[in-house]
Amino acid sequence: MPASQDPAAGSTHLLVDHLFRTRSGQMVAWLTRIFGPAHLELAEEVVQDALVKALLQWPYSGIPDNPGGWLFRVARNGALDVLRRHSAFRDRSRAIAAELMRVSETGAPSEAAIEDDELRMVFMCCHPLLPRDARVALSLKTVGGFGVQEIARAFLAADATIAQRLVRAKRQLRDQRIGLELPRGADLAARLESVLEVIYLLFNEGYSAHAGDELTRLDVCREALRLGRLVAGSPIVSAPAAHALVALIAFQAARLPARVDSAGEMVLLEDQDRALWDRGLLALGFAHFERSAEGREMSGYHLQAAIAAVHAGARRPEDTNWTEILTSYDDLLALNPSPVIALNRAVALSRVAGAFAGLEAIAALEMDPALTHYYLLPSVKGRLLEEIGDRRRAAEAYRRALDHTCSEPERRFLLRKLNECAPAGISESRPQPGEGSVGRAPDLTQASARQAGPLSPG
Amino acid sequence: MPRYMLLLHDNPASFADVSPEQMQKVIEKYIAWGNRLREAGVMHAGDKLTDEPGKVLRSNNGNVRITDGPYSETKEVLGGYYIIEASSYEQAIDRSRDCPHLQYGGTIEVRQVDME
Repeated sequence: MPASQDPAAGSTHLLVDHLFRTRSGQMVAWLTRIFGPAHLELAEEVVQDALVKALLQWPYSGIPDNPGGWLFRVARNGALDVLRRHSAFRDRSRAIAAELMRVSETGAPSEAAIEDDELRMVFMCCHPLLPRDARVALSLKTVGGFGVQEIARAFLAADATIAQRLVRAKRQLRDQRIGLELPRGADLAARLESVLEVIYLLFNEGYSAHAGDELTRLDVCREALRLGRLVAGSPIVSAPAAHALVALIAFQAARLPARVDSAGEMVLLEDQDRALWDRGLLALGFAHFERSAEGREMSGYHLQAAIAAVHAGARRPEDTNWTEILTSYDDLLALNPSPVIALNRAVALSRVAGAFAGLEAIAALEMDPALTHYYLLPSVKGRLLEEIGDRRRAAEAYRRALDHTCSEPERRFLLRKLNECAPAGISESRPQPGEGSVGRAPDLTQASARQAGPLSPG
Repeated sequence: MPRYMLLLHDNPASFADVSPEQMQKVIEKYIAWGNRLREAGVMHAGDKLTDEPGKVLRSNNGNVRITDGPYSETKEVLGGYYIIEASSYEQAIDRSRDCPHLQYGGTIEVRQVDME
């Protein structure tokens, strides 16, 4: 990811950002392949020991010339040690030792070999036999090199919950004898679908404005993009839907720098300073979007990426081709008849056919039980009512939106809108002190995962 | 310029729950601290000591007795040392004060090298 996406940018760059995290995932994947998938935990221990060695050594010796190679070398020595100690490897220890020595002169396996190992690990951690939340946590821990606490922070869960989830997931991996082979043929489509779903969930978990730790959530977004590119870049497993997903993620990630203002308040898509959008990510998005069109597949990711591409390509909000967006929402709705997508479609409709048409479409959704407690419905309604000049009913809608659960930045946003529409009489709703989280702009034109639920490709 | 030895005692902790990202951050803090002293031209040496407790030799009525140690009975382990330059104890302490070692539960013993 470009440096502008990096929350640590500006800090002293002594090591490549997230080097330990990335290398940790790679080394675990490498050792797990060599030891065998049943020994995932052993591989994790060896890797953790190698990192701790660096932690204790480097403050005195300084950073070695090739930090990544150093880590791989130390992990390899640790692995050779394990071979001598563990009777489980007695029969295979020679073959394993030989495999451990298959490294380049830097001490690390070749980049291509590392990517192959990572990819296998991604498919193992995202196996459809595992529960969905286990797949997500396991991918972050094992492939992404995230710590239990970091995962818990990103998901607003207790450390113990995540730790237990990981233990259970690893047990299931063993019990179900889930291996590291890359799926081929008939298996591939379903396995890839599961992988893409996990990456999609990861990105949206990081992207959505709930009160998790902001930096950690950005890291989760970055990891989702990295994994997406890994999968899309593989000639063995990639498919147009993988490119569509990477495009979608890149387009959305490009907007991250613009979705909060200098005061930390969220900024709606149409009010964002588009000069702040990350050009490198936009270009990446368009490149993958183009590749997603190879073949005849039209997945939910394709449609969402198409919507995001229209926004990404509009220099000014008024240049947005809403007719094209509306068509994509119609297709998306046909693929996945979700009321949340219908709500997003209503916004697109209001841009094509006017606020009244949008309000009419929303009225039809108000009875939907799935949206009864969904703050975005009254929030969207308030905005459209404001547009037609009905400030009294707009205030009423914003007030109702505030009755529902939403993130702190979203709450402040709604309060601001309410204040604009009904300057008096809101004394009972004071903003609570935030938890330092920064909000997602309510991209009402986007069907983001937390709203839309997983959209299965295909 | 007088030299001072900074003896870094570790409080042996379990690193099982420390995430890779945290470790990287800690390392970067140490390196940044060391680089400041290096750039000021006052860092002379620094070495990590190996993890085993080492050996202690004592003479007992002419017999040299060798034991493991010397820290087996205490919690803290001498993990490594730096040798820095400073004009006084005060300045040596000042240069050690922001060493990240202190943030992570370790202690630093400062001793002047006798060069008289």
